[in-house]
Amino acid sequence: MAMADSGKPAFWSLQNISYQAYRLKNRPELIIGLLALGFLSFVVLVPLLQIIKDAFTFQSYDLAYNPDGVVGEFTLFHLDRVFNQPISAALFYKPLVNSLKMGFFVTVIALTVGFSLAWLMVRTNVHFKGVFGAMLVFPYMMPSWVMAIAWLSLFKNDRVGGSEGLLTYWTGTQAPDWVAYGLFPIVITLALHYYAYAYLLISGALATVDSELEEAGATSGMGKWKRIRVITMPLLMPAIGSAIVLTFIRILGTFGTPALLGLPVRFFTFSTQIYASINARNQGDAFVLALVLIVLAISFIWINSRIIGVRKSYVTMTGKGFRKHESDLGKLRWPATVFVILFLCMTVALPLILLLWESLTLIPGDYSLSNLTTYFWVGQGNVNLAYGEPGVIHNKGIMGALINSIKLGFAAALFNGVLGLLVGYAVVRGRGKRLSQWLEAIAFAPYIFPSIALGAIYIGMFSTSIGPVPALYGTFTILILITVIKNLPFTSRTGIAAILQIHQSLEEAARVQGIGWFRRMFRIIIPLSMSGVVAGMLLTFITAMRELSLIILLISPGNMVLTGLIFGYQEQDMAQHSSAVTLMLVLIIIIISVIVRVMSRSAGVGRLNTT
Amino acid sequence: MKLTKRYFLQMLTRLATVALLSSTASISSAQEVSAELDAWLKENALGAHAMGEENWDEIVAAAKEEGEVSVYTASGRIAKVVDHFQALYPGITLTVYDLGSVKTIEKTVREQDAGIFTADVVTTGNSGQVIHELLANNRIFNYVPAHFKDKIPEENRDPLLIRVNEAMVFFYNTETYPEGAPISNVWELTQEEFRGRVGIKDPMGSGSSLMGLAVLVQFPDEMAAAYKRLTGEDIVLGDGVPDAGYEFVRRLLANDVVIFKSGSKLADAAGAKGQDDAMIAMTSMTYISRNDDKGNVNAIISDLDPASRMVYPNFMSIGANAPNPNAAKVLIAYLLGSPDITLETKLEKPYIEGASFDLLQGLAPYHDAGSVSPRNDVPLPLGGEIWDEMVGWNVSADFMWEQGPRLRDFWLIHSSQ
Repeated sequence: MAMADSGKPAFWSLQNISYQAYRLKNRPELIIGLLALGFLSFVVLVPLLQIIKDAFTFQSYDLAYNPDGVVGEFTLFHLDRVFNQPISAALFYKPLVNSLKMGFFVTVIALTVGFSLAWLMVRTNVHFKGVFGAMLVFPYMMPSWVMAIAWLSLFKNDRVGGSEGLLTYWTGTQAPDWVAYGLFPIVITLALHYYAYAYLLISGALATVDSELEEAGATSGMGKWKRIRVITMPLLMPAIGSAIVLTFIRILGTFGTPALLGLPVRFFTFSTQIYASINARNQGDAFVLALVLIVLAISFIWINSRIIGVRKSYVTMTGKGFRKHESDLGKLRWPATVFVILFLCMTVALPLILLLWESLTLIPGDYSLSNLTTYFWVGQGNVNLAYGEPGVIHNKGIMGALINSIKLGFAAALFNGVLGLLVGYAVVRGRGKRLSQWLEAIAFAPYIFPSIALGAIYIGMFSTSIGPVPALYGTFTILILITVIKNLPFTSRTGIAAILQIHQSLEEAARVQGIGWFRRMFRIIIPLSMSGVVAGMLLTFITAMRELSLIILLISPGNMVLTGLIFGYQEQDMAQHSSAVTLMLVLIIIIISVIVRVMSRSAGVGRLNTT
Repeated sequence: MKLTKRYFLQMLTRLATVALLSSTASISSAQEVSAELDAWLKENALGAHAMGEENWDEIVAAAKEEGEVSVYTASGRIAKVVDHFQALYPGITLTVYDLGSVKTIEKTVREQDAGIFTADVVTTGNSGQVIHELLANNRIFNYVPAHFKDKIPEENRDPLLIRVNEAMVFFYNTETYPEGAPISNVWELTQEEFRGRVGIKDPMGSGSSLMGLAVLVQFPDEMAAAYKRLTGEDIVLGDGVPDAGYEFVRRLLANDVVIFKSGSKLADAAGAKGQDDAMIAMTSMTYISRNDDKGNVNAIISDLDPASRMVYPNFMSIGANAPNPNAAKVLIAYLLGSPDITLETKLEKPYIEGASFDLLQGLAPYHDAGSVSPRNDVPLPLGGEIWDEMVGWNVSADFMWEQGPRLRDFWLIHSSQ
């Protein structure tokens, strides 16, 4: 370095400062990286430290067990309780086994389904690809518990009494308990929701596998299966690995579905135990469990990266000829098409129809035509019905929550897009530096927080002002903040991927001509990365609109959103309102996604369903 | 490289500072009243400075001066009185923070620890934590409007004023059991005949359900005696079960009680028409109103050995250093209802409209079968008259504080078997 030759100037010397300032000016990624790292440490690391601190100190709840304990003092009491006491089996080991079983089966099924669909859609000549392609991501746009509610409407049996399920209504037979409640339905309904990860990731990867590589294999005498094993699969492994990690970790932290379908047969999972502990203000237990979940997630990511050796970047845009080969299904073309149609009927049409139907019934559970009413959509509010709650279109509460949901979706998408792009820029341009590694790690960190735990910590963290940051509890801002943070792992991934594809030489060329950073950003980086970033933003929008576990602890009437409202209607068993609002939510998400896709396609942004 | 390292170190130290700061924040305050707080109490005649008499007109005038009042509440129904309250007391803006029972306490504690005082009125159930964590630590103070003192029995205003009492009761389906209540002793629910045919709202997810259950556990001797009256034998406790109260919980779970997430779903499950094998529901009495709203055919078992209603309170109080103490007093009086109500007053549904609303005031949204005013001069809500016929017990705050967590553990262990 030049500095070494001229003798070391003192750190604060004018020479050094101006030199460092000059260096900084030419390394915008450093400034961005540091700012992003500072911000993310605050919103990600502080919560983590808070969890650890609460897990290892006395909480006022513990005074019942230790009347002499001093709140705030260091203790191993919670660890002992969770791992080493008679209560541990019920509190920790059994829920752990249940969560792992659930995660394993859902991942296997979701991956199989997602892979098969991706293969059919990308590599075969199955019919109606355009429509299918759009519809296969619909289940992902619904809240994950919509399937669980649909399942209950179908298979509900005498165990929970009340109105009959459709199966009983039509056939008179009762579904056995294991079909209606517990592990089996939880796995099926979650898999039918979360296959979207595998489908999106694998179809994206498949689309970029150059068929010429496979043809090269064929000309060198490889059989069909060997080609798949030796050439295609290794190229798909990173995507498959990511799909496994995403699905598995997500399942560990999911709350709504196990709560709905598990409780009647006492099937408890990690997430339901955390929720119950937080509900009793027993943070000690809750946070030890949350930490275990975090450790599990980290080890899972680590194992995955050891086995598959996920490559951070792989060159797919070679600028050379690229051909996509669609194999002819022949006689199987129509059966395969019918299979996809049936699948879509089950995962998209059925839940939506059930929701619509339920929203039109006067007395829930009575599916006869004479019981149909539009009251819950257009009614003015009748004291004798549903506590006088007016129908959807006359309901100020619902309309307010609708506006909030849309605001939340757009705000989160916007901030996530910008933040993801900046993080991506800082990480990619700073490749190999420690700052880059730290930033990448910390941007991925929110992923390992179970949603419900992150929400709980944010209550504590933002119920008071911290330095210049005002108390955000109960405000709309905190919903945006937590949604942005929770989605950052996805958007920073897409940001990194997008920037990776832009060779530095483009930016260098501009720099040589003295074009400043902001103009480079707006003229080069943003236009070229738009496709990936918009896809990431759309994903954030969808997630933000349908998220519940994450924000359930943070919403209040002042910042009510649709999912919170639906949860409330469900709690009060106002089935028609809950179905109507859910349907409305899903339709809005679908419509806005379709609009964004069409608009970005016509703007030449390109494929969006490969994120 | 050097530069980045240095920045890192600085950043890490900052982070550690933030973490440290946030960790000191949650250490709870001492139980002694600070001089500052004492001055505030004196100024507002609260806590140790509460006086037997007060000039209500002066308080209302001062409240209007303050101009606003905020309530942290576990019950969203208060939101329904905002317009009525503001019309009755023009100039006072009422802000409702509908937080649910957990967050009501959490927010109060966290804010006060950080020196932020925004809660004027705090109202929630969860007696153990309210009495032992909030009241005992001077986070809230009891206030009973002087003109209501002799209308409220002492147990309903000491140590803390009760806003409404509610109860867990037993529902049965009158189509399944047209002859009347199928049981006369709670222990029958643990017998083979009712295997998988009893539903309860999840005590792990619901404070009110936990309190209702705790009431039975609170009286082990009476439970043991009731068992003997039913079977003629002394009860034999399971392994490691401390007493007959806990034994009831164990046997209820062993008899495959069905756990429900929501009380209203449970009420509908037990009460839906056309069932020939409906379950018995252990749930809030409030849900009996769903007979009207949802066409349920539930009835309440009013004569049960040893207890047919397990009563738990919802408290209201003034937050420490409340910014609008006078408006808080006015709101508390409003939530108790108009002093003009007598036992003879005719109140008509819907209570939330017209003359009934003007009389019931803040009580109107709660004047519903299954909720009972702490006052002794308010008639029982229509459909809830059965309250007085039932023998029952009240939950003890001390028991909840000391045994609540153990009861939860017990439930958790025996429900996972």
